Amino acid sequence: MEPSVETHNLTVIYDKKPAIWNIDFTLPTGKIIGIMGPNGSGKSTLLKAIMGIIEPNIGYSKVFDKELDDVRTRVSYVPQRQSVDWDFPASVWDVVAMGRFATKGLFKRLSKEDNDIITESLAKVNMTPFTNRQISQLSGGQQQRVFLARALAQNADLYLMDEPFVGVDAATEQAIINLLKSMRDAGKTLLVVHHDLHTAQDYFEHMVLLNSRLVAEGPTDEVFTQEILTETYGGTLTTLSKVASALKEKDFPMRHK
Amino acid sequence: MIDFWIILTASLVATTTAILGCFLIMRKMAMIGDAISHAVLPGIVIAYYLTNSRASFPILLGAAASGMVVTYLIQFFNQRVKLQQDASIGISYTFLFAIGIILISLFSNDVDLDQDCVLYGEIAYVPLDTLTLGGFNVGPRQVWILGTTLLIIAGSVFIGYRKLVLTTFDPAFAAAMGVSVVLWQYYLMAGVSLATVVSFESVGAVLVIAFLSGPAATAFLLTKDFKKMIYLAIGFGISASIIGYYMADWLAGSIAGAIATIIGVQFALAFIYIQFLRKSRISETLENKVLT
Repeated sequence: MEPSVETHNLTVIYDKKPAIWNIDFTLPTGKIIGIMGPNGSGKSTLLKAIMGIIEPNIGYSKVFDKELDDVRTRVSYVPQRQSVDWDFPASVWDVVAMGRFATKGLFKRLSKEDNDIITESLAKVNMTPFTNRQISQLSGGQQQRVFLARALAQNADLYLMDEPFVGVDAATEQAIINLLKSMRDAGKTLLVVHHDLHTAQDYFEHMVLLNSRLVAEGPTDEVFTQEILTETYGGTLTTLSKVASALKEKDFPMRHK
Repeated sequence: MIDFWIILTASLVATTTAILGCFLIMRKMAMIGDAISHAVLPGIVIAYYLTNSRASFPILLGAAASGMVVTYLIQFFNQRVKLQQDASIGISYTFLFAIGIILISLFSNDVDLDQDCVLYGEIAYVPLDTLTLGGFNVGPRQVWILGTTLLIIAGSVFIGYRKLVLTTFDPAFAAAMGVSVVLWQYYLMAGVSLATVVSFESVGAVLVIAFLSGPAATAFLLTKDFKKMIYLAIGFGISASIIGYYMADWLAGSIAGAIATIIGVQFALAFIYIQFLRKSRISETLENKVLT
């Protein structure tokens, strides 16, 4: 099978400190793939390096076995929601329409087909009633849906999503994961940065575990083991899991967020 | 007729800077106009000293060159040295402006330039310096220069509109689409340099800064549509020019000062208006809740 993303010795260094170090992997297509790791483990940096937003210091990556520039229209990037200024004077429609510029070129007018795709993308994330809403009036969950609709409008084959579940309500999280699953069923590949260990196993069939360097990569049931997780998350996880098992033994009610 | 030329001059500057100002304030870079309008000083003095004439073209070149230098310095300190944007702006332009002042005092015997004329300009003198074409007096030279600049800026923004909006709103997404964020940053900055340099000769640096940030900020309060924001900003800039001119006439005071004051008043009024709107909206929803 054609690989979706492959990286070779990918290394990015900020201020003499490596953010990601010597990352080497080949990911399958048609799967929901989680990128997991503790804070500052280079998850976002990895996505940005693959998308060419950050120039890697060493190494390279390929998408669908080609240079990124040759397949850019087949790839969609969903930045972290907090990375943009939501007070920007624009409507929901305006933002989703940006997704059509990618395939359209930046000068041509949007055709009726483009408009239909935008409408359809908004419907898929249940944002149709908000089409003309100003983006400054949206909740966190709605902002994330707008970003997803923009990505859907790009009609890509590979989606790289940076923390799409951060700061969204439970209903939105469920809606997003259902959407991701239906996209996967349509043959798309989804690469999702995520940090909630509770849900990881349910969401992802394949995982990349990162702690600046690559700890493990493979199908979830092979790599989502206590041993590998401890290696990825280091001491923090051990403490946390000890507390969790202690609580379990005493049958203490534990609150899930 | 003098009234007309002065108001037209101010309106041309207002329109050009309002268009650019909308992009600048959304990029949190409104003070870049401040930086450029001060930083052009050394370029102007050097060009003036080298050519020993007040001909516009060499001075324009000198100013544009130092405008690009300060833009580069700000970018460099911000991105490479990881200094905050505002600190980068502050250190870069004060440095270049200071060099300009030293150069003026060094050459003061040979050069007929003074700092006041750079900072405040003299819009009232614009109608005196006319352009003659084929024996006809076609109006003030500045009006022609500013008109051409407006056409260039409006045209460039029109051509690059989507990319400018995209790189302003979501640079990471733009970069992922293969749009060069740095290139469009320089595209916008080149426009700001040109507009600032051309404008400040007639209206002075202070009014250029007021025009760059004021009308755009007022428009931002009143609309949530970026295109409307640009049109509104242009409208506020032009109306401030007209009202400001007649206010200065009535007070027999500085024209640039009066226009800049009106720009401030417009912002204050817009602010009061939206506060009032918000209050009435809250009481409306409260009433509805009480009723239901």
